[in-house]
Parts: sequence; structure tokens; C-alpha cells
Amino acid sequence: MTMALRWGLPAVVIAGCVGYLIYSASGGSSEYYLTVSQLRAQAPAGDVRVAGVVQNDVQKTEGGLHVRFTEKDGTASMPVEYTGTLPDIFQPGITVVVEGRLGGDGVFHARTLLAKCPSRFSTQPYTQ
Amino acid sequence: MILGYLGAGALLAGLVMGGFSALLSFWAGWREADVFIQVGRRAFYAAAAMTGIAAVLLEVALLTHDFSLAYVVEHTDLSTPTPLVAAGFYGGQEGSLLYWTLILGALGSASLVASARIGARVAAYAAGILALILSFFLFVLAVVASPFDLLSITPADGLGLNPVLRDGGMLIHPPVVLAGFASFAIPFAFACAALLAGRADAAWIRHTRRFALLAWSLQSAGLLLGMWWAYHVLGWGGYWSWDPVENVALMPWLATTAYLHSSQVQEKRGRLRNWNFGLVILAFLLVVFGTFIVRSGVVPSVHTFAISAIGPWFFAFLFACLVFSAALLAFRAGTFRVHVEPAPAVSREGGFVLQNLLLIGVIAVVFWGTILPLVSGMLGAERVVGAAYYERAAGPIFVVILALMAVGPVLPWRHVGAPFLRALRWPAAAAIVVLAGLLVAGVRSLPALLAFPLSAAGAATIFSEYGRVLLKKPWIILRKRRRYGAYLAHLGLVVVVAGVAASHFGQQEKDVTLQPGQTVTVAGYTLTYTGSDQHQLQDHTDFVAVMRFGDRTLEPSRATYAGLGGQALTHVAITTTPTADVYVVLAATGTDGSASFRVFVNPLVTWIWAGGAVIILGVVLGNVGERSAVPELARRRVPVTLPA
Repeated sequence: MTMALRWGLPAVVIAGCVGYLIYSASGGSSEYYLTVSQLRAQAPAGDVRVAGVVQNDVQKTEGGLHVRFTEKDGTASMPVEYTGTLPDIFQPGITVVVEGRLGGDGVFHARTLLAKCPSRFSTQPYTQ
Repeated sequence: MILGYLGAGALLAGLVMGGFSALLSFWAGWREADVFIQVGRRAFYAAAAMTGIAAVLLEVALLTHDFSLAYVVEHTDLSTPTPLVAAGFYGGQEGSLLYWTLILGALGSASLVASARIGARVAAYAAGILALILSFFLFVLAVVASPFDLLSITPADGLGLNPVLRDGGMLIHPPVVLAGFASFAIPFAFACAALLAGRADAAWIRHTRRFALLAWSLQSAGLLLGMWWAYHVLGWGGYWSWDPVENVALMPWLATTAYLHSSQVQEKRGRLRNWNFGLVILAFLLVVFGTFIVRSGVVPSVHTFAISAIGPWFFAFLFACLVFSAALLAFRAGTFRVHVEPAPAVSREGGFVLQNLLLIGVIAVVFWGTILPLVSGMLGAERVVGAAYYERAAGPIFVVILALMAVGPVLPWRHVGAPFLRALRWPAAAAIVVLAGLLVAGVRSLPALLAFPLSAAGAATIFSEYGRVLLKKPWIILRKRRRYGAYLAHLGLVVVVAGVAASHFGQQEKDVTLQPGQTVTVAGYTLTYTGSDQHQLQDHTDFVAVMRFGDRTLEPSRATYAGLGGQALTHVAITTTPTADVYVVLAATGTDGSASFRVFVNPLVTWIWAGGAVIILGVVLGNVGERSAVPELARRRVPVTLPA
């Protein structure tokens, strides 16, 4: 057996397996990452992630574990419902990424809610 | 004010020295002009020293609250505790770059000190490459993102550190991660230098072995500390979320792990030369790629980074490194073709190759998941993948690697015989016992049924190897401590895997709202909410809920910072039992004295931290006091086949 074959064959087999794993896993579990207006324009089937800014109408019920608020980007907005613990920095004005789907009632039912860290390190950029 | 001018001056001087060192080293190396090679090296030391001076100046500015510097204002204030003020040095974009440059300068200097013995030309080229990298960082620091930028008006106080970062983890996690990243430039520089100089032997590997090990240890510790910090501070019950920031730290670690194994094949058997060059280059490119991703904000992440002008510069640097190393490999690697008798596929060499290919497979999975938003965004709608993708794509590969860990350590070099098959009886027995136990206990999830028995097999292999040598010649452990240290690291990794698998497959959680006196039971653990307390502190209000768990008291709390727009900060309460962590997050509080909690029971999480400590211990014990000078290949007689 030549060197090329000894090296190439296992490498090709493993590359093939890895390629298949990547292909099958990313086909099954990738989601669209949209802004609110993009979601309004075209709502894809299945779960999506939507980024937007939390508006000043946060309502908490069930001891704070259930939350309802409006998420907005430049032009479009949508109501969001979420049940679960909220990130520490959750408050009106911050950007959140919600993962879930837009229901027939026009409300986005979020499965997860992630807050964008205001910044990794500083509270806000200093402006003079 | 004066500190700002001095610091900027030190950076500029460093840049000039670095550029000079790079030019001179390449020229002198090409001409083999010994004197100038030495001058080039000294210029590198000078550039490193200038970086050191800049670092000291920035630290002084921070500690003396010199608010004329924008960097000091943006990352500290008068009320920040002193250790965190000091940590502000690497707490921001510009400072963390300076810290990186400092480590690169210090370790680069250390690697150059005794480099002449591996050949004047290789040493000169290595100095040149290190100086180029250092100069790039100094250029970014001096011109694009300077930590010494001055404000036109000096404010009375700074903006302070985000409360999430006011934590002990801040003191240790970032510097370790950054040092791990920075230190891998050294194996890269020497590998490229050897390629440039046309040297195919393993001298560069031996010379940079300590730096590769240091880089790997720091990267391992950095990953573990990051997981530990996220778990104890962020309060979502887990420690790994496949965020791009985590991914770009994981990929270089995987590549370095592959290199640490494959480099042994070259040291011991003289094989895999080109492969090792490729791996070192890959690891370094992944470091640069990670830095670019983390600091440019091109992929969506829960972390939004301080977006600054350095993104394009790092992209250009990444591109330059890519072109340079690809050209080097293309033009030079072909010249090292050596004719050695191929080893059988089932041998330690074969095991290392398989392990390398699998690790690269994991890197490919993680890389694709990380860049998918970029690629799909260019082609149309932006898509992202979540944890499910990584688990489904990388999970099977990890299972094979785990199986290989049980077999690999007992695989002999070159030739496999009956002793190898005999040695497999212990891991096989351990795997079968654990598998039977899991089946009896009612576990039916296939990933769990693979992960635990294979971890047990990996541990059994290590124990049987230790047992064998302890019964016969225990002193061998000290003499071959590199090997037995590596086994210890393997054992630690298997323990980590068991902890990850247990907490992943066995996590239970429950959301509850309780009145004082009510109880909640999760996974057989019962907690009683006894009441709550409110403390008004200087800059925040602390709301503490008290829960009783057996004879222990858990106090999850929630702090609200009025000064930061009412931002809240959760303090998780964690208590550890022999089999699991009980992890309580105070989600909200009611006006009637009720409180809402999220309670997690995370099995065996402590194994992850304990295993991590064992890994580091193994690497340290295996390499303390090891004399690296004598190459084993040279010492050993190479069997020569004589014609009959």
C-alpha cells in the first residue's frame, strides 16, 4: 500500500463521516436569525431567533416567572411572551434575542430569551 | 496625563524596535550573519521591555485613578475594589491587547534566549516571525486602539465595571485565557522558522515543547475557569452554551491537543513532520481567527463586544498569516519527503493519527457552527445553530475519541502483539460492568450508555497501566514521568467527561413560587423556603431569600443597582452533595413575602472541576524538572535491517 493510500483513505473516510454529521445536524437544527421587521416581512416555518429592543411595557406575572413585553427594532414591533427566569440585565432598553415562534395570535412565544451583554467589560462607552 | 504620554511613547518605541528586529533578523538569518542575528534578538528583547514599561504605566494609571485616560474612565471608578481596578488592565479591549502583547513579548524572549543551539538560521527566523507578530500588536495598540488615549476633560469619577464582572472570576479567567492564546505564537514561530530554513528535524518541537505545554495548560485552565465562572455567576444552571466566544476558545485547544500527541510521533519515530507543521499553523490561525471573531462582532453572540476599529486590522492579520503559512507549507513541505518504512495501521502511530483526524473533525464541526451566520448571511437569510447541532454533529466524534482514549495508551509503537490484546481486558471489563449497572438502573439513553462505560474504560486503562508499573518497578514512574503525567491528565479528562455526561443527561430543574414555610422537591432533594431579608447597601439593594436544605442553609440573592438603571444581579446559591449540586436561583420576589425560584439539580458537576485540576496536575508533574535537551531518537539505537 502506498503512503498516499495509507494516509488518504482513513482521512477521506473520516472527512466523509464528519461532513455527513455536519450536514445532517445543521440541516435539522439551524434557525433563521432575524430582526423584527424581517420576521414581519416573511415568517419562516419553524423556530426562529429574533433580535430587538425591549420596550417600556414589561409586565411580569406568576411571581416574575412569566413576562410579556414588546420587542421592537427600527420600524416593526411584536409582542413577546416568555416563561422562565430572566437574565439579570433584562430591562427596557436592552437588546434581547428571543428564540421561538410567532403564534397565530400574533404573539411571539419565546422558548429562550437571551440578553445581549451590555458590553463585556464596560457599562457604556464614554462620550464627552 | 503624563502617564498617557509616556505610555504612548513606550508603545511607539516598542513598535520601532519590533519592526527593526523583524527586518534585521530575517536579513541576518538569510545571510547567516551571527552578530546581526544577535542584535535582532536583542532588539526583540527591547521591544518586549517597552511593552512591559507600557503595561506598568497603564497599571499605575489605573491604580492611581488617573481619569485623564479614557481607558481608566471607561473601566473603573473610585468605588471599584482595588483588585478589580488592577484587573481593569486586561478588562477592556485595548488593555487586553496590551496584556496579550506583554505575554507574547515575555514568552517570546524566553524562547529566544537559548534558541541559538537549534541552529543560527532557525533562531533568527523565529526571532523575525515573533517580532513581526509583536509589531502587529504594537501597531494596533499604538495607532488603532491605544489604551493611552486622553480625554479632553478629566472627569471626577469613572464609569465603573459592570456588576456582572465584579467577581473573583474576573481576576483569574481572562488573564489565563489570553496568556494561553498568546503563548501559542511561540511554537508557531519556530515551526515556520524551521520550514523557512528548510529544517525537517524535530529540534523545533523539542525547543518549543515547554511553550506548547504551557499554552495547552493555560488554554485548558482558561476553558475550565470560564465554565466554572459561568456556572457560579450567570445563574442559568449550566457551564457551556456553544456561544461563538466559547467556540473560538475551544478550537485552538483542540488543535493544540492534537499537536501535543502528534509531535510525539515525530520526536520518537521521526514521522508526521509535515503534519506537525500543519497542526501548529492551524492552532495559531485558529487563535487569530478567534481573536478576530471575538473583537469584530461579525457573528451574533450573546456577548456584544466593544466594537472598535480593530476588526479589519485583525482580519488583515489573519489573512496575512494564512497566506504566509499556506505558502510556506506549499513550497517547503514537499522537500521533506522521507522514505521510512510505513507503520502498521494498528499501532501507537496509527492511534495518534486517528485521534488527530477526529480532533480536526470536531474543529470542523465547531468552525462550521461558528461561521454559519456569516456564510448564510452572505448567501441570503442569516441562519444560526444552537446546542442541538453541536451535540448531534460532535457527539459521535467525541464518543469515538473517548473509545480511543481507552485503547490508545496501551497501543505499542510500531508493532501490535498479544500483550496489547491482553492489556485490553481491564478497560473492557470496566466498560461492561458500568454498562450493566446503567441498564439495571434503567438508563436507556444511547449517548449516556456510551459515554459512561467508555469513560470507565478509559479510567481502567490508566489504572491498569499504573498498577502494572507499581507492582513491578515503581521507580519507573519517576523516570518516565512525562508518560505517567500524561496518563494522569488522561485520567483527569475522563473524570471531566463523566461529570459533563452526568450533568448533561441528568440535569433536572423546576420553577416554583413559594410562600415562607413551603417546600419544593427536585430529584429527591427537598428545600424549605423560610423567609427573606432585605439589605440596603452603599450602591445596591440586596434581597436575600433563605432556604433550608437538611442542616444546610442556602441564601440565593438578588442585588439591584439603582445607579445602573435598576440592573439586577443574581447570586446563585449552590450546595454540593456527594452526587449532585443543588443550584438555586432567586428569580423574583413578591410583595407578600413570596419568592420565585428556579431550582436545578446538576449531578456530578464537581467532577468537572476536580478532573480539570487532575489534568493540570498531570501536565505539571509530568514535566517538572524534565531535562529537555537530549533527543530520545538520537539516544536510542535505530534498528537496522541487514540483508540476510
